[in-house]
Amino acid sequence: MAAIVADRLSKAFTLRIRPKGRFSTLRGLFRPERRIVQAVKGASFSVNEGEVVAFLGPNGAGKSTTIKMLTGILQPSGGTASVLGLDPSRDRKRLAWSIGSVFGQKSQLWFHLPPADSFRLLGAIYELEPALLASRSGALIERFNIGELMDVPVRKLSLGQRIRCEIAASLLHAPKLLFLDEPTIGLDVVARKEIRALIEELNKSDGVTVFLTSHDMGDIEKICKRAIIIHHGEVVVDESMKALKHRALARKYLGVRYAKPVDMDLPGLLPIKRTELSARYEVDTNEHSLAAVVKALASRGELEDITIEDEPLENVIATIYASRSGAEASLFGEREARHD
Amino acid sequence: MTKLGARLCCYGVAASTAIRDRTAYAGNFSASMLTYGLFVFIFSRVWSGAYESQSTIAGYTRSMVVWYFIIAEITSFGFGRYFWNLARDVKSGQVAYLLARPYDFVGYHYAERVGGSFVDAAIILAEGLAIGLLLAGPLPAAVEGGSLMAGFGRAGLLALSLVLAGSLNFYLQFALALTAFWLEENDALYWIFQKFALIVGTLIPIEFLPEQAARAALWTPFPYLSYAPARIFVAFSWAEAGSLLARQAIWVVLAMLLARFVFALGSRRVALNGG
Repeated sequence: MAAIVADRLSKAFTLRIRPKGRFSTLRGLFRPERRIVQAVKGASFSVNEGEVVAFLGPNGAGKSTTIKMLTGILQPSGGTASVLGLDPSRDRKRLAWSIGSVFGQKSQLWFHLPPADSFRLLGAIYELEPALLASRSGALIERFNIGELMDVPVRKLSLGQRIRCEIAASLLHAPKLLFLDEPTIGLDVVARKEIRALIEELNKSDGVTVFLTSHDMGDIEKICKRAIIIHHGEVVVDESMKALKHRALARKYLGVRYAKPVDMDLPGLLPIKRTELSARYEVDTNEHSLAAVVKALASRGELEDITIEDEPLENVIATIYASRSGAEASLFGEREARHD
Repeated sequence: MTKLGARLCCYGVAASTAIRDRTAYAGNFSASMLTYGLFVFIFSRVWSGAYESQSTIAGYTRSMVVWYFIIAEITSFGFGRYFWNLARDVKSGQVAYLLARPYDFVGYHYAERVGGSFVDAAIILAEGLAIGLLLAGPLPAAVEGGSLMAGFGRAGLLALSLVLAGSLNFYLQFALALTAFWLEENDALYWIFQKFALIVGTLIPIEFLPEQAARAALWTPFPYLSYAPARIFVAFSWAEAGSLLARQAIWVVLAMLLARFVFALGSRRVALNGG
């Protein structure tokens, strides 16, 4: 069953623009110019129950706007959304009982109070009986290993500790669907790893559907099974992580180091980086056979070292992000898919 | 637990959490206590000058008018600063968290924010009573005499009037703050509101205003923010207190309806673009 269905969802904002020229400030007061910004343009996608989906896009692509429409905070300008069978724009309060959200750059915990106080308040907001609140808090405190933090004022917690408490707090009412908007932003490597493991475990053991936005490719590769990429407000890629990674497999990075200087230029393939004894090549396997390239390089002289790497997923996504328009990004996706 | 019981419990926990937050640092109160004390001192000196050549002005003695100011300022210092926090939450996008909850938004925020203010109001009231005894002498006598009944009645109705004033202040500031859903900059609206509140009943009793202005002022909500509790305190009579409380209650209901209307309208027009 689908947990989220977005059908041609769109959102336009009206911005006041200051007119140009003389007395622009004054004229702007009386006859402001307005510009319509189409933040989300007809986004259609669905997420099944129990899935962990990455919702990606460059800054300003419309990710947060989409999440806010899916949680009922923003009213769509067009299209429809269904979240857990409810229309978020009409049933925001009913929907709030079944969804949880963590906005990495905002906090739901009281800054000067220990997390225990925020947990108690959230328990009251979600109308949890004291016994149920105690058992849920206990389980989450154990799972997130935050027992020692519960009586420390939030302002004294590290960012990683705070995010662990934030996610635990958002799970107190046992939501079926969790929206995570950049939950690992600003975290160090260890804290990121901990948060990823917790999200993964949450999905596997409790079957919580996770809708995650992040700029961290590590989060996405480790946790998500599917990626939806939004660009200029349009969904340009919606495919499994496996398929997305497969795009990267078409391009390999090959590094060689010789014992003595040799001619390292191959017919139709020049090094992208070279020194007197080493070189690095970007090999499009649709144009060159990897085996043939390796053979040709080995024939040039005595090889001391050879490395073959996949193209980082980050590069694939960066190329999609770098497209000037949604249509162009879609074309890129199709072109890459044809190569596959 | 019934639905109503759960809701009341939620409001109670919200208020107690806000109180814990306010009392997390004793230093939270020092700035407002200092400013309040300074204001009361300065105005008691100003009134001393004004009363040099006369013993009463519009029925108020010097002692009454100093006590009036002490009580009138409690609404500003004790129940005053809702606008800034609410408007900041809307402008910063923090409202995203606040909206994504299954509670009655207006009711919850009333409980949380007014509940948290009780500590501020109680501290300012205690400070005011102490300073008043030093600067203005004993409490002004009740119009109905110094019976025990009148004494308790005055204290009880003053407390009720202060709660109603705090509630009215909250709902009006809530409605103003939520204009941030439409306006990028709405501080000016609060500035105007604040100035009206100050002139109409806080700095001076409305009896000091020209007759026409005083009569017109009674049709606005401003006297019920500070004039009503202060008047109940300095010139207590059951009849006048009853009338002032009834009018305060009506204004609280009207302001609550306005706040709910602005929220219903604004929350459907939320425009939070960007993360």
